[in-house]
Amino acid sequence: MRDRLFITTMLLPAVVLLVLFYGYPIFDNLRISFTDLSLLGMKKGGNWVGLANYRELLHRGDFSHILFNTLIWLTATSVLLRLLIGLGIAVLLNTRALKTLRLASVARFALLVPWATPPIVAVVIWRFLLERNGFVNDALMGLNIISQPIAFLADMRTVWPSIVTIMLWNTVPLIALSLLSNLQTVPEEYYEAAELDGATNWQMFRFVTLPFLMPAILVLGLMSVFWSFNNFVYVWLATGAGPGTFTNVLATEVYLKAFVDFRLGYSSAIGMVMAVVMGAFGILYLRLVAHRQLEETL
Amino acid sequence: MLKLLAAGLVASVAVIGTVHLASADPVTITFRFNDTEQEVRGAIDAFQRDNPNIKVDLQRIGWKDARNQFLREAAVGEGPDVAHVAQVWVIEMGAAGATLALDDFIRKDPPPNGFADFAAQDLAKGRDGHFYGLPWTTDTWAMVYRTDLLKDAGITDLPHTWEDLRKNSEAVYKKTGKAGFGFPAGSSASGAMWFLANFYWWSHGKELIVQKPDGSYAIGLMPKDVVECMNYFKQFMDGGDNPKTNLAASDAHDPAIIQALVTGKQAMGAMPPNTYKEILKAYEEANPGKSIPFASAPFPHQDDTKSSMIGGRMLVINANSKHPNAAWKFTKFMASQAVFAQYYRTQFPAQTSLLKQIDFGAPLKGFAEQFPHARTWGAYASGPAPIGTLWNVTTRTFGKALSGQVSTEDAAKELFAEIGKQMP
Repeated sequence: MRDRLFITTMLLPAVVLLVLFYGYPIFDNLRISFTDLSLLGMKKGGNWVGLANYRELLHRGDFSHILFNTLIWLTATSVLLRLLIGLGIAVLLNTRALKTLRLASVARFALLVPWATPPIVAVVIWRFLLERNGFVNDALMGLNIISQPIAFLADMRTVWPSIVTIMLWNTVPLIALSLLSNLQTVPEEYYEAAELDGATNWQMFRFVTLPFLMPAILVLGLMSVFWSFNNFVYVWLATGAGPGTFTNVLATEVYLKAFVDFRLGYSSAIGMVMAVVMGAFGILYLRLVAHRQLEETL
Repeated sequence: MLKLLAAGLVASVAVIGTVHLASADPVTITFRFNDTEQEVRGAIDAFQRDNPNIKVDLQRIGWKDARNQFLREAAVGEGPDVAHVAQVWVIEMGAAGATLALDDFIRKDPPPNGFADFAAQDLAKGRDGHFYGLPWTTDTWAMVYRTDLLKDAGITDLPHTWEDLRKNSEAVYKKTGKAGFGFPAGSSASGAMWFLANFYWWSHGKELIVQKPDGSYAIGLMPKDVVECMNYFKQFMDGGDNPKTNLAASDAHDPAIIQALVTGKQAMGAMPPNTYKEILKAYEEANPGKSIPFASAPFPHQDDTKSSMIGGRMLVINANSKHPNAAWKFTKFMASQAVFAQYYRTQFPAQTSLLKQIDFGAPLKGFAEQFPHARTWGAYASGPAPIGTLWNVTTRTFGKALSGQVSTEDAAKELFAEIGKQMP
């Protein structure tokens, strides 16, 4: 009993700190989401409107479009490609050939450059590359692949692939380097044994490498989902949610409603919906996928 | 008793000394400016030389964040003493209690030539009848042309109607392969399509927001007016004479547009005078000794209609300022003739008396001709819808229409529905 009291007492400051640090902003955001608080009326405060903001959000004609953009383009597409490309680069960097040619260190260093580039700078660089007289259009026209410049960030056919490309350029290195460090922990004997058993390269990858990497892939995947789903910078800086509202996502909608339309209450409601979606995803993911995979691996 | 007297004397000396020191201590005020530092650095230095007891700390922030940042700070008792704001923000900021009413200052210590000398006073006057800003600069937009490209396309006269503008733009593209009227058609909540759409409506004697005789506000357009305007500007995108990449450009000073005009890849543009001055300067630097192939002209209009805005900036004093007198002194100085004559030469002043003294010169002639056909935002700024929302809804719906995301009819319907929600 005394031990329990002692442990509780020791933990209490940390728990109080966590509740204040994380709990208070969430609670306050929830409170604001039930009001009509405006940026112009911050001194007065908002009036209680109950669930009106949530009802308005869910009944909006373009809510499904914004949700689709957020879930499919910004999150699912970018996360899957990030993991696939990151895994490919990690495997490539771990090959004997690259090591023999002493290119592995150079390649690893080269990967650090886009990773160390702040997202805002990455978007600016890519905007220059993708503009009418930018490098990409010049190169494609020089190679006679296209005859007219493509409006990569303004054409509805190319705008999402362009945003995803910028995201990948900036974030794949983290995945690649993380997986590479995991790859280097796979015991060499496993490959030797598999080779003796006549395993092909693909079988070695499928049955030796991948199981070893799976815990890391799962954690990186989960983190990537959170980073991508909540991301504001790439879409806002690349397209401002345009053309029209074609690339509008939940994070940019939060900004637009709060700081363009001044509707802090409504914007908080969108924020709460985002938190609930991510919370539900996190719980589901941990219970259904990560937990089982980790158990199998261990 | 003696001890008591001595203590009293010491205390008095200490108090007097403190008061004396306090009056000699320089007051520091902060000035938040949203353009480049070099534009105002000379004026600030001159003010500090003339007023050694007032130190001015210059803060800079981008226009896109300026309004929100100031409102957020002012709501919690913070923020700069003096802020550089768009004219159309002043009424909202006054209503939010973020800015100080300037009536007492204007009455007791008026600017030279009086407050009546300033343009856009209606935008400085809050809903409670008090003045919350001092108009500082005007940036009426006009059309800008590359005369050499027009000549190459066989065009000898600058267009006077919207139809001519369309035909000339198309002709430039077809005959020279260069962009015609390259306007920023981006969808972010900026002034890009917002300005052009309103100029088009005003020139046809119509306006988006009107104040009715009973004082209430309403949408002054019919859906067909919006569709017609969207269709007009869509032709430039569909025809290719405004490059599709401009669907990603949201400002008149977008580098791609400026560069295209400077290098002769685009024949026509629409912009405020400071952007045009930058283009002229860049052209002169790149082509020393060559004659300038640029001309400016008003937007198409009828004799009795307007086709541009008396836009511009104001200076406001933060309601939380601890040094309002010093802030007013600085504000008044920044609006003086000396500042515009010697230091802040990229902008035009907001005082009628100072505007009359300006020699616009040949390239800027069109801006001077535009002034009589320019108007303030009036009901737009005093109405119930935040101006940022009007910008956002208009540019988004135009962006949807111009990019082909939805039809012009559907985009116009959305514009009406969204702005309609803002009308009580």
